Amino acid sequence: MKRSRFPYIVTAVVLVFFYLPILILVIESFNASRFGGAWRGFSFRWYARLFHEPAIWQAAKNTLLIAVSVTCLSLILGTMSALALHRFAKSRIQRFHYTLIYTPLVVPEILMGISLLMAFVAVGVRLGMLTIVLAHATFCISYVALTVLGRLQDFDFTIVEAARDLGATSWTATRRVLLPMLAPGLAAAGLIAFTLSLDDFVITFFVAGPGAETLPLHVYSMIKHGATPLINALSTLLLAVTFTTIFLSQRLNKSGALEGGQ
Amino acid sequence: MSMRASGRGLFLAVLAVVIGWTAACGGGAKGPAVLHVYTWSDYIKPELITRFETEHACQVVIDTFDSNEAMYAKLKAGATGYDVITPTSYMVSLMKAQDMILPLDHALLPNLVHVDPEYLAIAIDKKMEYSVPYMLTNTGLAYLKSKVENFEPTWAMFGREDLKGRMVMLNDMRETIGGALKYLGYSLNSVNPEELEKAKDVVLGWKKNLAKFENEQYKTGIASGEFVLVHGYSGDILQVQAENDDIAFAMPREGGSLSCDDLVVAKEAKEAKLAHAFINFLHDPDVAAQNTEFIQYLCPNKDAYPLLSEAIRGNGGIFLAPEIKAKCEVLADLGADNALYVKVWDEIKAGK
Repeated sequence: MKRSRFPYIVTAVVLVFFYLPILILVIESFNASRFGGAWRGFSFRWYARLFHEPAIWQAAKNTLLIAVSVTCLSLILGTMSALALHRFAKSRIQRFHYTLIYTPLVVPEILMGISLLMAFVAVGVRLGMLTIVLAHATFCISYVALTVLGRLQDFDFTIVEAARDLGATSWTATRRVLLPMLAPGLAAAGLIAFTLSLDDFVITFFVAGPGAETLPLHVYSMIKHGATPLINALSTLLLAVTFTTIFLSQRLNKSGALEGGQ
Repeated sequence: MSMRASGRGLFLAVLAVVIGWTAACGGGAKGPAVLHVYTWSDYIKPELITRFETEHACQVVIDTFDSNEAMYAKLKAGATGYDVITPTSYMVSLMKAQDMILPLDHALLPNLVHVDPEYLAIAIDKKMEYSVPYMLTNTGLAYLKSKVENFEPTWAMFGREDLKGRMVMLNDMRETIGGALKYLGYSLNSVNPEELEKAKDVVLGWKKNLAKFENEQYKTGIASGEFVLVHGYSGDILQVQAENDDIAFAMPREGGSLSCDDLVVAKEAKEAKLAHAFINFLHDPDVAAQNTEFIQYLCPNKDAYPLLSEAIRGNGGIFLAPEIKAKCEVLADLGADNALYVKVWDEIKAGK
């Protein structure tokens, strides 16, 4: 039987649709022209300029610090709430909690941004990095909880019971059995939280305080002067870092798995 | 992922966060005074900030916004901590009405004597009670020198039939109807229905020769030669000029619109005195000239003008001749009268 070519064609079309814009951005970052469109020769001038922009690097540092903090915070809180929701799903108050976890996913961003800002102002919290972390964690917890809940849906809790039977304390069973089994779900949830925090603009704009500028805020403001090539160069660098990290982590995972198998 | 590896990874992540936060917050401890400036990105030459920091033994922290409206919404909702802000003039009027900015203490601003009186004559806050003009841009005509014969700096160019289909005007009712009002000798901010009616007929006449009303593509359009004459913002045109020497910018002799970003001090400013010192610093003629060369917008400081390079002084997109500047106007916020313009603009868009 001859294999259908259709899946390959669809894959190719989808790949082009998803990645062509990114490829164009990467190519444009090497274009000497300030305006996209006309090719005026290969050049590193935007990368050179990028290294003379301390404001961008400060913003990048802030963004990463916030993203890592948000990931840790929402992973811990989100996983805990997922476990609680899964175990006690039957009670009425728990069904209400389940709805509460969903709410941040459906509330419009601008509403969330303004209301968080007003809440912070009312309580008297000084706006800054901390308020951004709190705001991001507010919606990231929901994504983490839902991702982990999905993982728990087909989780075999008899394994945990077996560990307890064999004399493990509750803490040991959680640490040595439950968490390792959940690890792929936790990794996925962490990545989602990290990316959401990294590129959020609307909520961040409202809750950011003086001296706590993130990369998305800075990039939007750069548009007034139309310095888009700098943004292209910056995005290309970010892409390179992301791809390297993913590649390295896969390599590490593979070698870790081999060691474990021996 | 083995348990030990993930445990180590988590530990490292937490350690990184702790170190990062210590580093980020360490600077916030008792030290030199910190001035918080809320402005557009790339809007002050970095070397000048360093100079101000040394001269006043303080630290300047810059945060950026991307639109007047977003900045206003954020401050209105209660965000504080900014000392100096640079909104556009129309937004200054609104912020003043809402009691969001401080009146300026002129005793702390000796450099205000350098501010261009010709600009102040047409500014909204003529006495600089609440705001000091910082950077001016204008809206005018850009054309290809090799393709447009007998160019004259006038709005009447849009009536030239030999350029039919190769010209573009802005898709912005205030700018385009404003051009027609200026052409007829009226004010850009006219709310007289008769004058607006006449302006409508003028724009309808021009519309026959236009390729379209458009705000973004006109830049690439004139750079590639698709259009030979466009109505555009000077900031945009200056960027295209850097790539195509054939493009020239001119202000119509009847006058046109100016837009100015102003320096204001926020009501809740913690460092109001330092904020005044900063505004005063930016109007030092030498500083103003350096800033203009860097940002390529004009700081309206009359004593800085002689210090500007020939390239800046010769560029109609940056430097306006006094007699033309006198005829220009700043677009004012019309409030409820805006509806008059919306109606005329709808008729223009629908008309043949």
